[in-house]
Amino acid sequence: MVLATVTALQATLLGGLLGPLVLTGVLVIIPAVVAGVLPRLLRTAALVAAPLAISALLVNFFFTPNGATVLFQIGPITATAEGLRVAVEAAVRIAAITGALTLFYLTVPLGSLVVDLERRGVSPNATFVISSAVRTVPAILVRSAEVTDAQRARGLDTEGSLRRRLRGLLPVIAPVLLGSIAEVEERSLALEARAVARRGTRTLLWWPADSGLERFSRWLMVLSVPLIIVARITGWLG
Amino acid sequence: MLELTEVEYRYLGARTPALRGISLRLAPGEVVGLVGASESGKSTLCLVAAGLAPRFIGGTVRGTVMLDGQALGTLPPGEIAGRIGIVFQDPSSSLTGIMSTVFEEVAFGPMNLGLAREEVLARTDEALTALRIEGLAARDPDHLSGGRRQLVVLAGILALRPDYLLLDEPTSELDPAGARLVADAIARLAAAGGAILIAEHKTDLLARLCTRVIALRAGQPALDGAADDVWHNPSLTDLGVDPPTRIRLAILARAAGVDPRRLEAVG
Amino acid sequence: MTTDSGTTTGSAWLRWLIGGLVFIAATIIGALTVDQVSDGTFDPNTGAVMTAANSFALILAIAMLLGSATAFSIEWFQTGRLASISGQFTRRVIVLMPVAIAINIVLGQTVAAALKIPIYLDSIGTILVGVLAGPIAGAATGILANILWAYVIPPPFQYPPAAAFAIVAGVIGIMAGIAGRIGIFRPRPNRSTGQLVIGGLITAGLIIGLGWLASVGYELIFATDITFAPTGGDPLFQVLAWLALVLVLAAVVGVFALLFIRRDLSAAYVAVAGVTTGIVAALISAPIAAGVFGGVTGAGTDFLVAAFRQAGLDIYAATTGQGLISDPIDKTTTFVIVYLILIALAVRFKARFPQGERLLPADEDVGEEPS
Repeated sequence: MVLATVTALQATLLGGLLGPLVLTGVLVIIPAVVAGVLPRLLRTAALVAAPLAISALLVNFFFTPNGATVLFQIGPITATAEGLRVAVEAAVRIAAITGALTLFYLTVPLGSLVVDLERRGVSPNATFVISSAVRTVPAILVRSAEVTDAQRARGLDTEGSLRRRLRGLLPVIAPVLLGSIAEVEERSLALEARAVARRGTRTLLWWPADSGLERFSRWLMVLSVPLIIVARITGWLG
Repeated sequence: MLELTEVEYRYLGARTPALRGISLRLAPGEVVGLVGASESGKSTLCLVAAGLAPRFIGGTVRGTVMLDGQALGTLPPGEIAGRIGIVFQDPSSSLTGIMSTVFEEVAFGPMNLGLAREEVLARTDEALTALRIEGLAARDPDHLSGGRRQLVVLAGILALRPDYLLLDEPTSELDPAGARLVADAIARLAAAGGAILIAEHKTDLLARLCTRVIALRAGQPALDGAADDVWHNPSLTDLGVDPPTRIRLAILARAAGVDPRRLEAVG
Repeated sequence: MTTDSGTTTGSAWLRWLIGGLVFIAATIIGALTVDQVSDGTFDPNTGAVMTAANSFALILAIAMLLGSATAFSIEWFQTGRLASISGQFTRRVIVLMPVAIAINIVLGQTVAAALKIPIYLDSIGTILVGVLAGPIAGAATGILANILWAYVIPPPFQYPPAAAFAIVAGVIGIMAGIAGRIGIFRPRPNRSTGQLVIGGLITAGLIIGLGWLASVGYELIFATDITFAPTGGDPLFQVLAWLALVLVLAAVVGVFALLFIRRDLSAAYVAVAGVTTGIVAALISAPIAAGVFGGVTGAGTDFLVAAFRQAGLDIYAATTGQGLISDPIDKTTTFVIVYLILIALAVRFKARFPQGERLLPADEDVGEEPS
């Protein structure tokens, strides 16, 4: 059930970029309810989307020129009905995209995604890069925290005035960056020792199930994308 | 038999060779120790013997490296890994960095070999059991202590069932507890009859395991012989290697006019 | 140990020639198509004319991809494999890419979330891989970084807009790869004072030019006196401007330190490559920023967009203007940072990457190897 949305969502995203926002909303909210992650989805999505959406609202609402219908004025700023419309559209679009992405993140464990990709013929090198990158982000954070602590223990100021903090930044960033990069050589050797260079098929220990319904809905969504594009161009959906 | 004959190895662009005149035989059931000051060529020797140099890191090699009668350079890439295992110093950079459980981490090598699924599972279980870390199977390898992490790395190599095992200072980056954990595991592997080459500066560990010891100086063999002869050789300290504690004490005792056998009884 | 395919034969020239022709053809077709679509049509959202000029860079980028794809498929037909691509993906590159992607995401997110300055710093990894491994590897790093940033990285580090800009990141990777390949990142130490002065003048000119552009942006802001800076002298803005200045200054100081202390002319080369990449990136990303996100990305650059809009520009022009200010500053800073990283890395480490030999000083011997 968790995996019911694996690849289907990728198509949703494409659709979401193109316009029919209500549709996307339905495609995000309903599967979320089914998968039982709606509260978490809303919380996370709100967190991610809020700054974006607010920014989008402000910029478009107040700074859309050529607005005919003036709603109100604050100093030099003119709020127009046209501006409001653009602003709301942008905000909804952002919400749709964020919602779809967050749902994807919440319902698809990285392991399943990677195994599924590999089973479908994606190179093990590519899946290595994906899973390693995702695990490296927190590793770099941990390392930064360690280096920060170490530098602080050596009397380096990472708090206080802005200038001091900036001066403190370099001794933190440099070892983290260089250390992570220098580790590449060792890890490459260690991977060679684990037979990664061998040609031929790899054994997969498991892969997520894929039902007929999932396959069908996936195709449906993929097909809907060119349809929407065509509809947009021919002026059908405005 | 893993056999190096008159090997000379030069890193890419280096003016002088990092290894010269190295001859070494590692037979099944044999445990050979490799000592020497840092930068004396221990790690390089391990890389050459594992076929990673020059194939993977470049450079030029002269002399021959033979694996069971075949030249190492002629074997296809990836095949050597199934026959010669190598473990490096730092366990965190030796993990694949992509697996979220110890079980999958250990299974990574056998998966790459393309073995049947049951075989992969069996080998993984076997390797975990051999190192007594079955209990860690579901843990995240990134969240283990250094010593346990090194055991996971070692298990990942053992799961490939190599005929020869090369250990490049496997305990040097670990805290004392972790080092003891790994040393005990290696001792059990040695007792089980594997062919092992260990580069180490902790000679106490080697004294427990090795039948033969080679000491390197500036990339060349300085001492080579039965373990006890090398440990007692007075020039060993000149090479930057401390003899095992037991032997150091014996030498000190003799110098002080005490019968070393009385010390043996104590220690 | 250059794994650079070594196929500089006549047939290699042929396929790049054909690839080039496809590129030109695709550009023309693309330009014509957009011209037709936009002919007299007003964008209902913005009330602006969607001019071909704004989308032209995007078309160029797509045409570039098509051209390369053609060249590579010809190579595949000729040789049965893709040595020029696979040669860029050695084991080391595969292992470096995730690190590079993580650096992009961590730094990019930190800057986007915590600092309101008109730069991104989200392409250090992309440029590093491009320079060390080659254009295709650089592009793959950039594209993957942006997709992962949007899709699979846990929420504190999730940034949905990133996926839409994947193509921009890809182009940045390609440009960095080309810069590395033609040897821009090769240190050129101990050059004559004359050369250094010329390099210094060019660099100084660029920096002054960029600074001038940025100040235009700030002037627009303060002149319009908008919501978040009601008195025109909001201390917040002064602090932010100062902060941005310090970061850019650090890169500037770095450039001149390299030029005149190490007498390394490459600093100027690197700065020029950074500006060029920045301009290209700006032209490509502007239509995306305008079309998909209504001009905002939730980052510190949004205020620039706001300023331009207030000045009466349409949304495409506003995002282009913002990009032309932010991107060259950002990419020049990033290129200089990458160059500093490369200097700090061990020679033997660099030499083992596909383009590593092109990053070493032309005449210097590779040093001794420790064991």
